[in-house]
Amino acid sequence: MTPTRPYRVLVTGVSNPLGAEVARRLAPHVPHLFGCDLRDPISALEEMDFVHADTRHVAIGKLIRQLNVDTVVHLAVMVDSPRDERSIHETDVIGTMNVLAGCSAPSGRVRRLIVKSSQAIYGAGPGDPSFFSEEMTSVERPVSSVTRDLLDMEQLVSEFAVRNESCQVSVLRLGFRVSEDTTLARYLSLPIVPTFAGFDPRLQLLHEDDAVEAIVRATLGQQSGVFNVAAQGVVLLSQAIAIMGGTPAPVLPPYGRWIGRLALRALTHVDLQSHLADVIAFGSVMDCAKLEAELGWRPTYTSRAVMDALARGKTLEVIEAPSPPQEYELQVYLQRRRRNARNGQTAAPVLEAHR
Amino acid sequence: MIQAKTQKQRRKESKPAEIVQPGPGPRLAKSVKRLQRQAPLLAFQGLSELSARLRQMTGRDVIDMNRVMEFAQFMYKQQELMRRGANYEVDEFGFDPQWTESFLSMFMVLYRDYWRVETSGIENVPATGRALLVSNHAGVLPWDGTMIKTAVFAEHPHPRHVRALVASLFMGMPMLSWFLRRTGQTVGHPDDTRRLLERDELVLVFPEGVRGTGKSFKDRYRLRRFGRGGFVATAIRSGAPIIPVSVVGSEEIYPMVADVAPLARFLGLPYFPITPTWPWLGPLGMIPLPSKWRIQFHAPIHVEEHPPEAANDNNLVMALADEVRDTIQQGIYDNLKRRRGVFL
Repeated sequence: MTPTRPYRVLVTGVSNPLGAEVARRLAPHVPHLFGCDLRDPISALEEMDFVHADTRHVAIGKLIRQLNVDTVVHLAVMVDSPRDERSIHETDVIGTMNVLAGCSAPSGRVRRLIVKSSQAIYGAGPGDPSFFSEEMTSVERPVSSVTRDLLDMEQLVSEFAVRNESCQVSVLRLGFRVSEDTTLARYLSLPIVPTFAGFDPRLQLLHEDDAVEAIVRATLGQQSGVFNVAAQGVVLLSQAIAIMGGTPAPVLPPYGRWIGRLALRALTHVDLQSHLADVIAFGSVMDCAKLEAELGWRPTYTSRAVMDALARGKTLEVIEAPSPPQEYELQVYLQRRRRNARNGQTAAPVLEAHR
Repeated sequence: MIQAKTQKQRRKESKPAEIVQPGPGPRLAKSVKRLQRQAPLLAFQGLSELSARLRQMTGRDVIDMNRVMEFAQFMYKQQELMRRGANYEVDEFGFDPQWTESFLSMFMVLYRDYWRVETSGIENVPATGRALLVSNHAGVLPWDGTMIKTAVFAEHPHPRHVRALVASLFMGMPMLSWFLRRTGQTVGHPDDTRRLLERDELVLVFPEGVRGTGKSFKDRYRLRRFGRGGFVATAIRSGAPIIPVSVVGSEEIYPMVADVAPLARFLGLPYFPITPTWPWLGPLGMIPLPSKWRIQFHAPIHVEEHPPEAANDNNLVMALADEVRDTIQQGIYDNLKRRRGVFL
């Protein structure tokens, strides 16, 4: 074991599709892999020890210390969620605070921390530069609640990075993803898509596959800092809609974004969050030069290819089907057996593995 | 493995070939169909004959066939654009060259026939590589930007697209934001200027900004303050020569007699103009007056000879900005002298 390679890795938010895929790809590279989330994982992964844990409780810090992990991949950050703003705030800000508290414990062994953030942190407005570099976040202008939460969260993370120099902290600002369950994808797949009258912004997207690859590379790499992760090139909104086979209908009023949102919800049952409403009016494009320079890798799909993939219905198939319960129990049993064998059959499970 | 089939089996399984029937619709006689196909050609032939006759009779070009052909070309281009559907690429700024070029022929009509623009010094614009065009800004609506774009595209031996920087205010407006981005414009942000110059584009800036467009008629052809010289600093950092551009004629398209500031503030606009026609005639007041225009591209000022660190030298930057401003102002006076009258 070299000190620079991640040895014991904890992945938070492992039960969402992104987290599950990250865990699956990390497993062959990492001797000990732990995962935690509120819900059951959507598929059982034999190499991973799964723990039910809520990042919103202080207990998560205890878990990090007890598991003795050296790398934390913090993916329990909600951006695109049907839940209310309050629970997004709790998860993003309070959850991250608890994870950071666990990492910065006096005898902390955490050497690397990867935090998932989002392109939503930049917001979108008419006066914005055409490309957002990593340092272009601004708190002055009126921002949506998600943007504010993400700004708060990254503030906490950067403070942590300053105080703990022994820990390499990477923040990945992932571009907007259009797998089948995101709001943006549901919006773009409508047969008739209401758009803001007189606006046809540029969209920059990120393929699910590339998002996973970026997180895995960041976990196994040596870099630290904030990185924009998004596909190359842009598509226009009208172009994206045409690729999906829909018809753009410029019927939403150009002024008063919240009226447009209400109208859209009434017409199509797609609840576009306010930061997304700004994006489909003004567009938001990130500059990913830093990612390419420091990770030596760039997303393989262009924005256009991401849209084509969505149109073909071929976004990354994370899990074939939810595993049946018996199989899940079997996996838990195998995990315990494996762990007991490793610990010389003495130690009781560190934490209750399942319920 | 695929089983080999005998001839007999194959014949047994085969189905009769389907005959594709033409879709339902009015059945036209063959002669009518032929006429339909040949209609555009026949129309052109008839029109050209008519124009030739008229020229014989009157001795002048009453119907200019070149213009007619241009119009037909424009329509065909639009049809082609409709046909490409979603199969096109825009660059990262949202610029769609094919789409823009189809519209340039429309601006050509304004350029040639309406404002009768006379362009000089086009050879000062480089055929390749980066350069920063700096121009005076006038007229209530930024028509001068479109005319400089058209001039470089139409008159330059190596047609190039000029990428203008516009105020963020316009990027927030419906229709305009879409049109400006699609035709290659971007926000007037220093970062955007740098990126465009690094991609070896021809960038057009109006350092006067809305102070230039919103000045009243009695102040015409008097340049406002040139910002804080930010454009010079960006040019030095990117190693791009500055080409001053003087535009004459843009001041008279909307003679602005007054500015209703409270109304402008209420509407969130930088100014609310009162001209002899606006707002009295409603939308008709938006029609610009047909003044005579002259555009002059001056010799480049080679700021790229300074090292990039010189961009932090405020003295040098302000001196260069003044030099650019003086060149433009001098060019305006020269061209005003050469012009016989406002509308001639």
